[in-house]
Amino acid sequence: MSENSNEHIFRPDLFTTDDNGTVRLVAGHCKNCGYYTFPKYLACPKCFSDDIEDKPLSPTGKLHAYTLVRRSMPQFPVPYGLALVDFPEGVRVMAQFDAQYYERLRTGMEMGVTVGPVRKGEGGEEIKSYKFYPVEG
Amino acid sequence: MRDVYILGVGATRCGRFPDKGAYILGREAAWAAIEDAGIHPRKIEIAFCGHVYQGMGVGQRTLKEIGLVGQPVVNVEGACGSGTLSFWEAWRSIAYGQYDVALALGVENLSRILSGGPLPLEEDDVEVALGMGMPALYAMRAQRYMEEYGVTNEQLAKIVVKSRKHAALNPIAQYRKETTVEEVLNDPMIADPLTRSQCCPIGDAAAAAVLCSGELVSKLAKKTPIKVLGCAAQSGKYTGPDRLVCDPSENVARTASMAYEMAGLGPEDMDLAEVHDAFSVAEPLVTEALGFCEKGAGIRLIEEERTSLGGDIVVNPSGGLLSRGHPIGATGLLQTAEIVWHLRGEAGRRQVEGAKVGIIETMGGAQPAMDGITCVVSILGK
Repeated sequence: MSENSNEHIFRPDLFTTDDNGTVRLVAGHCKNCGYYTFPKYLACPKCFSDDIEDKPLSPTGKLHAYTLVRRSMPQFPVPYGLALVDFPEGVRVMAQFDAQYYERLRTGMEMGVTVGPVRKGEGGEEIKSYKFYPVEG
Repeated sequence: MRDVYILGVGATRCGRFPDKGAYILGREAAWAAIEDAGIHPRKIEIAFCGHVYQGMGVGQRTLKEIGLVGQPVVNVEGACGSGTLSFWEAWRSIAYGQYDVALALGVENLSRILSGGPLPLEEDDVEVALGMGMPALYAMRAQRYMEEYGVTNEQLAKIVVKSRKHAALNPIAQYRKETTVEEVLNDPMIADPLTRSQCCPIGDAAAAAVLCSGELVSKLAKKTPIKVLGCAAQSGKYTGPDRLVCDPSENVARTASMAYEMAGLGPEDMDLAEVHDAFSVAEPLVTEALGFCEKGAGIRLIEEERTSLGGDIVVNPSGGLLSRGHPIGATGLLQTAEIVWHLRGEAGRRQVEGAKVGIIETMGGAQPAMDGITCVVSILGK
C-alpha cells in the first residue's frame, strides 16, 4: 500500500504491494468452488456461494489485447494505453499502461502490475492506481 | 403465444438538434407511425419508450403531446439496445395476450449533453474509472481481430466506405457524403486502430412502430402488415480468458438462435439485416455471430461485397450506426423501420430487391467482464 498518505489512490483495496515491492491485484476467490472474479462480487457467478475471500492474483499475466487511447474524457491525459491481461487464475483484467510501452508490446507478452497515475481529480490532482507494464524487454 | 404484426412505422431525420428535446423528436416519430398505421390513436393500449439519457418520464412527456394520456407507458433502458428492447416489450405485451395494440417508441437527444467524444459510462465500473470508453474496448477487439485473421486497416476502412455509400441513398441518414479508404484512414485516430469515421457519431432522433395482434390485423391494416416472425432478448454473460475478445459475441449468437428458432428460419433465409455497427469492426463480428459466415470470415463478406446493396445478404442498407447514426434509444426502432420499409418496397433508391425476410440486431453496452448488457434480435417477414 502507499506510504504517502497524501497520495490520491483509486481503489487501494484492489491491489497490494509486498515487501519486495511486487504489486499484485486482489481478486475475489470463491472458497466453495475456487472461481476467481476481478473485482470481487457478492456471489460467485459459477456456484452462487457468497463465501468469497480477497485473494491476490499471480504477479504477472499474458497480454490478450491492447490499444493506445488518443481521445478520452477530460480527466484522462492522453495518450494512454489500455490492455486486457489474462491471469493464470482464469481472470481477464483491464487496466492502463504507460503510452511509452505501446510500440514494444506484443500479444502474449508477460505483463506485471505497478502503481502509477491514471487520471486527474476534480482539482487537477494526480490520482494513482494499478497499471500494467511489460515484464520482458 | 399469438401472432404480432407491425401496422406502421415512423422516424425523424438523424442529426444534431440541440434545440429539439426528446419529447419534440419523439412526438414527431410517434405521430408518423400512427399515421403510417392508419389507426385512430386511441386504439393504442400501452406504450414503451426506449432511451438512455432522456430523464424521468420521457415516454409520458412525449406522448401527452399527441393526446396519448392515461394508458400505461413504460420507459425502457438497455444501453444501445434500448430501442429494440422497447420493441421486444411491445411485442411480448401482445404476443402473450395482455394487449392488442401497442406503440414502441425510441428517443434520444445526445447533442444536448455531449459535443463529441465517447459516451459517459458508469464510473462505478472500475474499467470506466480507469479510462475505458466504448471506442477503446472495440479498438482492442479490432487489434486482436486483425492479428488473429490478418485483417488490415484498409479492410476495416472499407466498412465505412460501404456504410456511407448506403447512407447517401437514405434521406434520414446523418452522414450522407461518400468517402474513400484513404479518407477514413487519414481521419484522427481515436484509439488504435480505430479512426474517427470508424466510430458512430453523436446524434439525435426518434423512431416508432405500431404493433397489433394477428386477430386484429386484417381489420386494422391499411398497408402491407409486417409479421414479427421471431423476437428475443437476452443479457450478456461473464467473459474470461476462455474466449478471445474478437470471438463472435456469445450474447448475440444466443439471442439470435432463439429468434431463428421462433421464426423457424436460419441465417441463410435472411435477405437483409440491420446490425449494431457502432464501430467498423463491430459489423463483421456481428455477421459472424448471426451465422452469416464462420468465425473470422466476417471481413470477407465485406471484401466480396456480399453485404453491399446488390449483394446476397445486404447488411445495414440504411448506412447503419456508422452513417445513419446512433441516437442510442432510437436506434433499435430506426433499424426496425428500415427493415419494414424494405419489406414493403418503400425503401426508394436503396431498396433491396425482393426483400421478404429481414433481421435486426442490437447489443447494448460493453464491459470487459460481460459480453454486452442487452441483446435483442428480431426477425420480420412479409
